[in-house]
Amino acid sequence: MHSTRHSTRHATRHLGGALSALIALALLAPFATPTLPGAAADVKLIALPKRDRVEIQLDVPGLTLIEEERTIPLAKGANDVVFAWANTAIDKSTIQFRCMSDPENVQVISVSYPPNENALTWQVSSPTAGPAKVRISYIIGGVDKSYEYRAEAANDEKKLTLWQYVQLHNRTPESFGEADMFAGYGERLERPIGANETRKILAAKFENVPITKTYTADLAQHGYLDPAKRQLKIPMHYVLKNDAANGLGRFPLQAGKARIFIADGKAEGEGTTAFLGEDWAAFAAKDDELKLFLGVAKDIVVTRTIERRDRKKTAGPLSDYDIVVKYEIENFKDQPVSIDLAESIAGLRAEVLGDAPRAIEWVLGTEGSLKTPDALKSTSDRVLFHVDAPARGADQKAQKKTETLNIVLKNEW
Amino acid sequence: MWKKLLSVPIALAIAWTAPAQNIDVSTLPPRDSVQLTIYNSEDITLVRETRHVTVKQGDNVLQFSWANTLIDPSSLSLTFLERANDLELVDTVFPHGRPQALYWNVRSKFDGEAVVAISYFTSGITWTADYVGITSDDESSMTFDGYVTIANNSGDDYADASVRLVVGTINLVERIRDLASRGLVPPAAVLESESRMRDMPAPAAEAAKAVLADALMERKEKEIVKQGLSEYFIFTVPGEETIRNGHAKRMRLFEGTKVPVTTVYRYRPMEYGDQLVKLFLVRNDKSSTLGDSPLPDGAVRLFRRQPTGGLSVIAFVPTKYVPIGQEFEFNLGRDPQVIFERLATRTWRDDFWFKRGDQQKLYSPTKGDKVNDNDTVVGWNDHEARLERVRNYRGAPINVEFRFPISGDVTFVSSLDPTLFDFRTPDFKTTVKSGERKDLAYELVSRQGTNATQNAVKLEAAK
Repeated sequence: MHSTRHSTRHATRHLGGALSALIALALLAPFATPTLPGAAADVKLIALPKRDRVEIQLDVPGLTLIEEERTIPLAKGANDVVFAWANTAIDKSTIQFRCMSDPENVQVISVSYPPNENALTWQVSSPTAGPAKVRISYIIGGVDKSYEYRAEAANDEKKLTLWQYVQLHNRTPESFGEADMFAGYGERLERPIGANETRKILAAKFENVPITKTYTADLAQHGYLDPAKRQLKIPMHYVLKNDAANGLGRFPLQAGKARIFIADGKAEGEGTTAFLGEDWAAFAAKDDELKLFLGVAKDIVVTRTIERRDRKKTAGPLSDYDIVVKYEIENFKDQPVSIDLAESIAGLRAEVLGDAPRAIEWVLGTEGSLKTPDALKSTSDRVLFHVDAPARGADQKAQKKTETLNIVLKNEW
Repeated sequence: MWKKLLSVPIALAIAWTAPAQNIDVSTLPPRDSVQLTIYNSEDITLVRETRHVTVKQGDNVLQFSWANTLIDPSSLSLTFLERANDLELVDTVFPHGRPQALYWNVRSKFDGEAVVAISYFTSGITWTADYVGITSDDESSMTFDGYVTIANNSGDDYADASVRLVVGTINLVERIRDLASRGLVPPAAVLESESRMRDMPAPAAEAAKAVLADALMERKEKEIVKQGLSEYFIFTVPGEETIRNGHAKRMRLFEGTKVPVTTVYRYRPMEYGDQLVKLFLVRNDKSSTLGDSPLPDGAVRLFRRQPTGGLSVIAFVPTKYVPIGQEFEFNLGRDPQVIFERLATRTWRDDFWFKRGDQQKLYSPTKGDKVNDNDTVVGWNDHEARLERVRNYRGAPINVEFRFPISGDVTFVSSLDPTLFDFRTPDFKTTVKSGERKDLAYELVSRQGTNATQNAVKLEAAK
């Protein structure tokens, strides 16, 4: 038995090398193979069946599952099937053998793992002699995926076309041939995957997706552009919602790099695009927004000041603080824009009162122009308002628009 | 290269104190049988082997050596299986300078053959369990197969061994591997002779392989026998297995053909961290086509059957020991199809109490007391309105369970029909339909300062 198995693996390696296959399957029927009288006892029938089909499952990050289907000739009785690999990071403990053609009767009796070798031997029993379709699956390292997006906005920045690419990275010296691939969402893809190859595949394309270009004024999150002048940094984003109403929503959008372009507005067939920049797109669940950062706005100026801080004593040492935050908004663009004005209540209290180890009780005061926060996106600590800023006038002067937010911090001491 | 040898020196009539001087010819009786009892809680295996030895009337010396193995010399024992009344183990000698050898001085009343059993502990032979579960498309059931893998790194080959695997925890005061490497302090009387031994030809072993080869033609998958013993459970592998040093062998322990699976989502930060996790719940009982034995701890690999016939990975998770009849769970982590948010929507305070100077009396404006600027706030209630928001994008309703501890003197006000898991941990559950966004609202009233009289959570129905 010992010499048999030794020579078997030897032969497997040799044949594997000759076929340039780094993952090799050898079938032995040591007890069923007739041998001539006087013939060497370790002469065995060795077959290296080709893969009939390969599936690559990439749905769980870090756990890429390869499933290969092969047709192997089995002898009646016990068969030794040797599976060996080299230069490939296969997790030995995850290798499975499943018979698809006769799962009830063709069964693995045991699996043997020789020491210090990337190989194992299945002892497979078969009730009959003949071919069996089997699937061998294993977790492999060096094969993974990443996502990439190309977003091409229309010239008016009202819609964009979004291409989602999945990139399969095969960093192993193993070629998987024509592989059926599933990245976890969307359609299954069938492509050849060669050794040490990266293949970029268009996974989905979404056309005419409505977008909103947002300008966000949020001191707590983005800080000042010019602290001395209290001028806020105003990041710009394309925001698209991953829902059916906007032509998306079939599956969550995975995180990945997004390159953003904009059409130059020329007639169809003549126009080109300009590169606006790139961003790491975060995971966007269904019904969530995907925000693509475009840079910091230069044509929108928002100056934030604390216009009023009135302390009103209520009972004993308790006081309410009546605070008015003033936002002066100037839009130097020739298009009207919508600005998201956000205020952190904790940030505001720290600014006017300092930190205190207490929850904050507050209400919206009646004096501010900002009265109706976005109900879905506001919380007990952050209020968000949407403010329209008109385009600059014909005289090229921006109209200064002033908004005020009245917050009353209650029962402070 | 021989590693572990039992030899019977030919010169049998040598005095006990200096046996086997210059003995250079010995016969090595082969093992008749060997049984391995392998524990998984500690690195310990009980080996019991039987051998035939030839003895002469009078005093005999049996030498046992175990070079390059991990045998605990303090555990070696010799017993006589036949004619025990005519054989006596007089003593055991651990010779100086040979830490991996001993001599058994045996007194016999007869000339002839004796059957002995030698048992000892060794380390380096281990077994582990692992499991493979494959769920149906809708994840309502799965096949769940258990496997055991025996690995031999003891330094010795065990051919044609009967194998028993023990599930359960045993108590050891010293590690066998340490004992094997440290050896015993030899007695003053030393045995300095070195024996050169030769292996007895073992045609029987070759014959056995041939028999095994024939048997393999008809061989089916072995069904491992499960049997309870005291606090332990023993899995016995039918027949015999050959496990060479450095090799490992994996066999199926059981086959769960149609195991019902209950899927539940839980937010329990004490158990699963600060996230909503998806769990499969399974019970180890007959109705689940399991329950023949406890499930030893081991790695679980869960897959989902794809319409193509292929598999996709759900999760690779560990499981702990599962007694017969107990429900166990697989934590699958976050489900990207189920979005969970915890939101605080509003906070406010009331019921203030004040202290004035060194007075013991406390003042409350809501009770009609007048308070002064120099009074100190010593008690109040914090109110926080919260939402647990769950969005379900799966194709079926999901059951979601919440259990999280809250510190302080707190009233949990809600219409969620909660119960208390313990004095500070509300527990409530809901069902979220496919495509639904569900907000579970509640209010926490936390009594602070002098208002706090307990450190516990009370439940109150929302008005």
